[in-house]
Amino acid sequence: MYNLIRVELFKLHKNRSFWTLLIALAVLSLAYPLLYYFDHRSSGEPQFTGAGFLITFITSNAYVMKVGVAFLAGFFISNEYSTGIMKTIASSGNTRGQLYAAKLTVFAIGAMLISLVFPIVSTLEVTLLSGFGHFPEGNTLFFIPRVLGLTLLYTAAYASIGALFTVVLTDSGKTIGFLMIFFLLIDSVLAGLGSKVEFIGTLYDYSIFKLVGEVAKPHIHSGDLPALLLVPLLTIALTAILGIFIFRRKDIK
Amino acid sequence: MKMQEYVLRTNQLSKTYKGHRALDKVNLSIRKGSIYGFIGQNGAGKSTLIRLVTGLAFPTKGSIELFGASEEKALIQARKRIGSIIESPALFPHMTASENLEANRILRGIPGKECVPRMLEQVGLQGTGKKITKNFSLGMKQRLGLAIALLGDPEFLILDEPTNGLDPMGVVEMRELLKQLNRELGMTILISSHILSELHLMASHYGIIHRGQLLEQFTAAELDGKCQQYIYIKVSDPGKAAAVIQNELGTTDFEVMQDGAIKLYGHMEQPSKISSVLFTAGLEIEKFTPMGEDLESYFSKRIGVDSHV
Repeated sequence: MYNLIRVELFKLHKNRSFWTLLIALAVLSLAYPLLYYFDHRSSGEPQFTGAGFLITFITSNAYVMKVGVAFLAGFFISNEYSTGIMKTIASSGNTRGQLYAAKLTVFAIGAMLISLVFPIVSTLEVTLLSGFGHFPEGNTLFFIPRVLGLTLLYTAAYASIGALFTVVLTDSGKTIGFLMIFFLLIDSVLAGLGSKVEFIGTLYDYSIFKLVGEVAKPHIHSGDLPALLLVPLLTIALTAILGIFIFRRKDIK
Repeated sequence: MKMQEYVLRTNQLSKTYKGHRALDKVNLSIRKGSIYGFIGQNGAGKSTLIRLVTGLAFPTKGSIELFGASEEKALIQARKRIGSIIESPALFPHMTASENLEANRILRGIPGKECVPRMLEQVGLQGTGKKITKNFSLGMKQRLGLAIALLGDPEFLILDEPTNGLDPMGVVEMRELLKQLNRELGMTILISSHILSELHLMASHYGIIHRGQLLEQFTAAELDGKCQQYIYIKVSDPGKAAAVIQNELGTTDFEVMQDGAIKLYGHMEQPSKISSVLFTAGLEIEKFTPMGEDLESYFSKRIGVDSHV
């Protein structure tokens, strides 16, 4: 298992698409606050501080998270079916369960790194430009580790769903396209169905698709925290088990 | 025969894809230390069998025994002792040759990085430097695929069309390398190839598969026995020569080819008598050579078609 994780990390490190995605996101994360900075400067509005920017824009990071997972799933996992690499991996004398677990682990790490780019790069840049400032009343510095920690956890949950679909789709183009549509529409579809069917409504309320919106909330009630933590963890466990189940029975072409 | 003497044995191995029987009750056995030439037309089931052995697909029925192991977990472990190229070399297109080898070295848990340059040298790719494999020729990709398969000196090497894309010198070099590995390391090799003349130069054992069924397995020595020997005769007047052979030698076991050449079967021990009879009949002998059928003609005859492996 150790070797499998090591080789996946090696592959991630050498993956051009991963680095392209990271660099492109970093550039966008640098450019985005600059637009506000110059706009506010010309209009004379007060500038965002680092803390203010983080609280205002962290919600948008959910889109980055979803797009990052979709692209990385296509280029890091599905691509290995078309290049034949999956054949080498599957015939390497390791169980399919180990192979899937190693791939999911490193894929999730890659997606988590991508999900951190926007909040970290933008907040740092704004802090350098206008200072960090203060969190609004009621928020403490604990907000930063909490929001980043939950971002990582929810990205891992999205990654586990992404990895599951790569086993079925096995083509990078199809994977990216399908996951983009799925992640962007599932929220509205479940919300719509949930308003008509109670069970689906409850399911949606306790799904990562709904709860990801809570990640950036300035205040989280202590009663909501267990669900906020357990739902992504259960999502990871269930999708990983399902992914291993399918991968164990899959003929690799 | 002891179980350990076989590297691979399959028992009634069958694989069905959506109602199509790709493999049908195949009982194949490969002895340790042999070079096994696996012959069959496109779609005969060669790759399907290789995919089952390497764990890429699962049998519909029957079983596989690798290094004496047939239970699922033991079989997975036994696959660590295999190196393979299946259908085409599996390479990371944006990595260099060294990086491709390094990734596979880590995957297989082979200690020490020194095997990477050694393998590159062994397949003649030591000078590729920072060139990414996406820009390699097909021949270079095949060589790198072989280097990857050879990492860690596997006991059993499975090669599916390894000479695809290689230039004539590359084909010769690969043949010599495989023979060397077999001779010096005792590596057992399974090769499926369309180039039967090439297989004939290195295989010690053969298996013919046709429409999912293993028709026959035989050794190189047995092949020699199976391939009919004949005397190839080219004379100035083939019609007259045919009559002379029939009347003077009392045999009809010969063929007159389209180009006028005659294949005379049997009588291999009487070349001087035959040439003397033809000469006495006033025929001018242009060519007179003892010959034998080769693997390709035997294969064609065995599956009942003219050619196209």
